[in-house]
Amino acid sequence: MSNDIQNKVEELVNYIMKKCLWQFHSRTWDRKRQNDNILGMTAQLIYGGDVKPATPEEKCYWADAVCLADAFRNRFGWLADMDRADKEALMTGLKERIDFLTVTGSLNLELTDVHY
Amino acid sequence: MTCEILERTRAGIINPIFTCQPCGAQYASIGIDRCIGIVHGGQGCVMFVRLLFSQHFKESFELASTSLHEDGAVFGALNRVEEAVDVLLMRYPDVKVVPIISTCATEVIGDDIDGVVRKLNEGLLREKFAGREVHLIPIHTPSFVGSMISGYDIAVRDFVSYFARKGQPTNKINLITGWVNPGDVSALKHLLKAMEIDANLLFEIENFDAPLMPSGNTVAHGDTTIEDLRETANAVGTIALNRYEGGKAAEYLQKEFGVPAVIGPAPIGIRNTDTLLKHLSDMTGKPIPESLVRERGIALDALTDIVHMFLADKRVAIYANPDLAIGLAEFCMDLEMQPVLLLLGDDNSNYAKDPRVKALREHAYFDMEIVTNADLWELEDRIKNKGLKLDLILGHSKGRFVSIDYGIPMVRVGFPVYDRAGMYRHPVLGYQGATYLAETMANTIFTDMEYKKNKEWVLNVW
Amino acid sequence: MPYHLFKCSQCIPEREKHAVIKGVGEDISMALPLGYLNTIPGTISERGCAYCGAKHVIGTPMKDVIHLSHGPVGCTYDTWQTKRYISDNNNFQLKYTFASDMKEKHIVFGAEQLLKKNILDAFAAFPDIKRMTIYQTCASALIGDDINALADEIMEENPDVDIFVCNSPGFGGPSQSGGHHKINIAWINQKVGTVNPSIDADYVINYVGEYNIQGDQEVMMDYFKRMGIYVLATFTGNGSYDDLRAMHKAHLNVLECARSAEYICNELRVRYGIPRMDIDGFGFEPLSASLRKVGLFFGIEERALTIIEEENARWQPELDWYKARLMHKKVCLWPGGSKLWHWANAIHEEMGVDVVSVYTKFGHQGDMEKGISRCEEGALAVDDPNELEGLEAMETLQPDIIFTGKRPGEVAKKIRVPYLNAHAYHNGPWKGFEGWVRFARDMYNGIYSPIHQLSLLDISQDEIPTDKGFVTNRMLSDADLSDEVRNDPNLRPYTGNYDCVSPLRNKVYPEFPRKEKEVSVA
Repeated sequence: MSNDIQNKVEELVNYIMKKCLWQFHSRTWDRKRQNDNILGMTAQLIYGGDVKPATPEEKCYWADAVCLADAFRNRFGWLADMDRADKEALMTGLKERIDFLTVTGSLNLELTDVHY
Repeated sequence: MTCEILERTRAGIINPIFTCQPCGAQYASIGIDRCIGIVHGGQGCVMFVRLLFSQHFKESFELASTSLHEDGAVFGALNRVEEAVDVLLMRYPDVKVVPIISTCATEVIGDDIDGVVRKLNEGLLREKFAGREVHLIPIHTPSFVGSMISGYDIAVRDFVSYFARKGQPTNKINLITGWVNPGDVSALKHLLKAMEIDANLLFEIENFDAPLMPSGNTVAHGDTTIEDLRETANAVGTIALNRYEGGKAAEYLQKEFGVPAVIGPAPIGIRNTDTLLKHLSDMTGKPIPESLVRERGIALDALTDIVHMFLADKRVAIYANPDLAIGLAEFCMDLEMQPVLLLLGDDNSNYAKDPRVKALREHAYFDMEIVTNADLWELEDRIKNKGLKLDLILGHSKGRFVSIDYGIPMVRVGFPVYDRAGMYRHPVLGYQGATYLAETMANTIFTDMEYKKNKEWVLNVW
Repeated sequence: MPYHLFKCSQCIPEREKHAVIKGVGEDISMALPLGYLNTIPGTISERGCAYCGAKHVIGTPMKDVIHLSHGPVGCTYDTWQTKRYISDNNNFQLKYTFASDMKEKHIVFGAEQLLKKNILDAFAAFPDIKRMTIYQTCASALIGDDINALADEIMEENPDVDIFVCNSPGFGGPSQSGGHHKINIAWINQKVGTVNPSIDADYVINYVGEYNIQGDQEVMMDYFKRMGIYVLATFTGNGSYDDLRAMHKAHLNVLECARSAEYICNELRVRYGIPRMDIDGFGFEPLSASLRKVGLFFGIEERALTIIEEENARWQPELDWYKARLMHKKVCLWPGGSKLWHWANAIHEEMGVDVVSVYTKFGHQGDMEKGISRCEEGALAVDDPNELEGLEAMETLQPDIIFTGKRPGEVAKKIRVPYLNAHAYHNGPWKGFEGWVRFARDMYNGIYSPIHQLSLLDISQDEIPTDKGFVTNRMLSDADLSDEVRNDPNLRPYTGNYDCVSPLRNKVYPEFPRKEKEVSVA
């Protein structure tokens, strides 16, 4: 990943960590599920694709994804100038980084507790 | 016209008048200089009591917990007492007095706090804190016995019995105030000063009304010292103002050291203040000075202005700490008021035998009920469902909604009072207290008359 | 991200891993305070017990319930009238509290018969109330009373009553949070799914982790109603017992305080497939995003956008008036468990203050992950703080104001730091758009209090200014403002009323056309 993309990833990470709560569900599997779905849908929206949530669960991810994609577009003007490949690199980098911060690199000792 | 003495028959408490014993022990311990109590139990037993004190005094007081958790509840938690003492002493180098206050949980699991204190005295204190004066005092206050009243009484006795040592006579008297406010202590000191009497005050809590100073951290604290407690054995005599809050300590000093004890009455109202002055004079040989004759005269002048025009025949319900409640009822009688309901909020069987209660029963010329082991539902139920008519309620803030919901004016008195500003500053004791109480009752009734447009025009000329 | 060991805690080095300072470029994967561990005895921690976490925080805001604690009287007394969770049924839950009044003989011989008589007597005293929650305490847990069996027996004998049993003794966990957990799980196990009302609404939510402090819930209900959303149950502020038994019938759980109530949302998701949506009711931007998300979920985004537009137009000029005057004021954000993350970023961005420290009395590491993430660099984050650490932090950080509980607020007062009540609020509600302005107003009034300014003057040493008979908060706050800001015609201070909640109770809401039953798939 280029430095430029990496810096941009950090801007997006910063936005999520300051403004969102969905990435901080209480257990590893929930965080993974949230990150996969919400960031997955957000990426589709950023790429200009259409996401059609069918189930209540998908609608819940989608609602967060729509708000996130809009916030990214509104706050980070540079996003509009990116091509698809860069956007993919950006969103892949974002997903990796959020997964790291909230799951694989998290120091939260409660994440693996089998009970809620 | 009868006065009945009843006991709550309903199981359980709806809206309690008192909290449990550990609170009383904590209240006593904050009156001592360089003292931080450690409560052996769940964290709530301390956290909420600290909150309660801060609600009443608008101050924070230092009290620690052993923080009983699940493992301790199962396996015993004496190790947590040891750790708490160690941690507290390390971090608070000025602390000398550390009562270890038990709770229901640690009494049920049978933690031997006396044993652990012996162990700490022989081990930790000798090894790690050698040369430092530290007093660990076990105080047993299981929550399922008595109430905050007995907890206070026990703690005062335990502090006194721990420290009191026979020595040279001090020519002082011991004045055990009971559960009072800083304003009361000021009023008592004022009387003592006028009588030129040197007194050892248990507890010296005037500084519970702590200032906001431009520099430094003025934590509210009590000022009774170890020395003060030690010298209680060498006093001319002891006056415990409240039978149920400090009476045990006075009895202990009499029995153990031959210090003559006078127990009660609390100087609530003119007559009881007269009695206190007589007791003080008898004990010390000091005359009652002209200045107090004059002060008493000012009080009587003030009372005369309001008694028969406004207070006479007013029907009053009273709930408060027992000595305060009884004292208020007696004062109401003198003020021509009718204390029709008196609630005593725990199961102490001595209340019914108390001569002051007997006297009330004998001389009530109106229908009066005295309920022991009472809760605030005994008050509300009578108003809501049994036709009790009241003109005034005297009590603490926990009963505020009875006043609010049934439109009965209320004078906040006792502990805790958190829904009126600065009440801890105003005395209810002494001649000044009598004036304050009577005028506050009158003013409260006046406000109610105006609010309800109930002959409010009467006040046009008076 | 370096751990921070307070000077006062050098003798208890295990405290070191309970505090961190967020350094430049550092994140939560580098250091995270330990959390939710057993308290070190004797530290003078600010934590409460698991009984209060269950009964006082979550149980009692339920408004149509007899709340009976099985134990000695103290637990009941101590947790009564210390909070501001109001309700629209004349505050029954604030006014009445019940204790079984366990005494020594019951400890010895058992207290089940006592409890049984208690239950019947309490229902008899309040014949209109048919619902009860019984809370275990340390004492009743240790003597082993089987409260559940007794409750079942009484329900069998009295079919018109329903009883919930919460077994959360004070010692059950490191802090009140243990009780939050226990009551969440007990409620879903015992009560959810036991009634099945027919619900005639298109958009049905549970509003979870909301306790109606000074009317917060009612403010949020106003928005939901304006969107045509039916709030089936609120867990638990201003909430109804029977509504909460029907939580399984909602389409969506909208979760506010995840610290105290994420457990039930997680279980509702697993057991009933109801999605969990975390929201923020505090702050214009987070609240707007939250309303929009709920709207998106139901396909009624435009209704949310209408509210957001109206509310922003009404209140933004007032929020900005305060922001101009609160810029870079230093704040210690020291609440219980969730507000450190609810507020840390929102007050920085929307009111301009700098959060120099966050702490959590009873939170978990998850709360610190959120809280630290939402802080700016340099902030000090502390888990399970104690009295001396709090004082040391205030002396080091020199905050202009702190947000904490009532009792620690008195500690701050003595070192001349103004405080706002983070749990009960000063003049709330603080949720909602108007509420957020009220928070800013309270902050402004605290920081710029002329009396506070007087407390900094030492008349024995300092030059006493003799040229003023008074000073106003406006004189203090506007002294260094540019004319442009001071006279900005677009800004104004708060114009709402003292009570902004009661009027909502009689408000009439528009009826929205119902969704077509059969939705054709294109």
